[in-house]
Amino acid sequence: MLVSNMFNGLVYGSLLIVMCSGLALIYGLRRVVNFAHGALYMLGAYLGYSVALHSNFWVALVAAPAVMALIGVLLDRYGFRLLQDRDPLTVVLVTFGLLLVIEDVVQTIWGKSNLSVQTPQLLNFSVDVFGAALPAYRIGVIVIGAAVALGLSLWLRYSKVGLFVRAASTDPTTTAMQGVNTDALSAGVVGLGTALAGLAGVVAAPFLSLSPSMSSDVLIDSFVVVVIGGLGSLAGAFIAALVLGMVQAVGAVYLPDVAVLLPFILMVAILIWKPAGLAGSRT
Amino acid sequence: MNKSRMMLCAVGALVAGPVVALLVSSGTALSLITQAVIYAIFAMGIGLLLRQNGLVSFGHALYFGGAGYGIGILLQLNLMPAELAVLVTLLAVAAFAFLVGLVIVRVPGIAFGMLTLAIGQMFFLTASRARGFTGGADGMNVDWPSTLFGLSQSVLLKPSNLFVLCWSVLVVLTLALALLLRSRFGAITEAVRDNEERARFIGISTVLPRASVYALSALVTGVAGILAALNTGFVSPETLHWSLSGMALMMVVVGGFKVLWGPPLGAVVYFLFKDILGDFATHWMTIFGIALITVIVFSPTGIAGALQRLFGTRRSAASGESA
Repeated sequence: MLVSNMFNGLVYGSLLIVMCSGLALIYGLRRVVNFAHGALYMLGAYLGYSVALHSNFWVALVAAPAVMALIGVLLDRYGFRLLQDRDPLTVVLVTFGLLLVIEDVVQTIWGKSNLSVQTPQLLNFSVDVFGAALPAYRIGVIVIGAAVALGLSLWLRYSKVGLFVRAASTDPTTTAMQGVNTDALSAGVVGLGTALAGLAGVVAAPFLSLSPSMSSDVLIDSFVVVVIGGLGSLAGAFIAALVLGMVQAVGAVYLPDVAVLLPFILMVAILIWKPAGLAGSRT
Repeated sequence: MNKSRMMLCAVGALVAGPVVALLVSSGTALSLITQAVIYAIFAMGIGLLLRQNGLVSFGHALYFGGAGYGIGILLQLNLMPAELAVLVTLLAVAAFAFLVGLVIVRVPGIAFGMLTLAIGQMFFLTASRARGFTGGADGMNVDWPSTLFGLSQSVLLKPSNLFVLCWSVLVVLTLALALLLRSRFGAITEAVRDNEERARFIGISTVLPRASVYALSALVTGVAGILAALNTGFVSPETLHWSLSGMALMMVVVGGFKVLWGPPLGAVVYFLFKDILGDFATHWMTIFGIALITVIVFSPTGIAGALQRLFGTRRSAASGESA
């Protein structure tokens, strides 16, 4: 019981890692808290559903994030870039308006009823670990979460573009003066972040059902994660995502009555201790 | 605007309420404007927080639905007269918000908004899963006694009387807030909003004024929650849901938060539009989403700001000091 619960916590934590790394990347470069991120995740999941219906899951796993990346680049070019000199609040409210529009569009196209995506054949078996049967698909989700975390960390640490991204997150103006095209960089990063939201959506589709409320559920957990981790910090978000997944899963065993409240209690406790979050020096 | 002119406006507005109630004979129209007035009070609470603290709340439905649940539970338990229960609920909402505020106003900028969203949603989840007499996802009835403040229920719940009540509450609250914000309290909160560091330099504690504004805005929203509970006689988890907070925030932004009467104006515009749209209402999310984006991009000060620009700078300068 405990093993499989902790396992599920790890699975959900990995999903949150994929979500929150997108959120943190976008915040890092554009200083925008993207309220539409959950809606983009939902859009990715529904796109993945349609693609999977017509071909198969593996095509969806590539196609949906690719479409989302394009949407992200457009969002940056015709949204964030035009609004970059405005009050941060303005941009937040614009993303909030966007969230309403995307949710309505998704409901109009795919309807309000719950949909589900079949687990791909290749991963439709389970593995016995410590007497608990763990579905292989969920192990795959953990692998994807780990790959995203590791890939992003290495990319930011060792590649030239990663260096530019880190520089632009710290000081966009000086970075631009050194000859880095920060607008193109931002477009790429917002595209990547949006693609990650789409990837999270497709990955979540076979084990969480698709419904219009999926966007707000995951958005709120993601916000808790990035606030606990420290806004804009990738490492903080990774740790906080795993902690949140675990706390929820283990809480469901020992404290079933208050399990839904635990993330929030955790968040309040951490913020009393460290108002800027675990990794936070940035505001 | 000086004090005596403000009083005059308030008296005029108080008289206007019954006149409107007499003129509007259609019951549906009256219930629509009553609802608009209730949401105007709700929006004014959020607007107050935004204006005085520069902080956006995405979770104020917590205090709207919370007040409804508070009064519902107190009336169910039958511990005290309903009049006292209303007072206790409002005080409890304000006290709770003050405690929450002490923690969350220390979090800078937009992270604050994310926190309010998360906290609000926590209570939505709790309320929709709770068993017992709060009724979980089905909600609960609010059992108002047969007489309230000396008025019998049938008199009180007559649409025209209910409208006059809500309208008068709105006017009195607006006046009270306008007076309060002219005082030292208003000046301190504005100083903290504009430059927290300098406010600290001149010896002002910054957390307490912010938490107080947060509590005050929760109190205003709580009043709206109680009026809504009186209007519908029912409270459900939907009144705590973040989409309601978002809707109210939208009214604030569309109306304009720089002046006190902006958010109520936004509420009225919202309900008018919703009524006119009618058939298209299934797509109201898209319509309001686009409206929100348009207003915030092209007129960040909302309709109120646009009106002020339209009627010249003299008036905007005057209301900038007072309202």
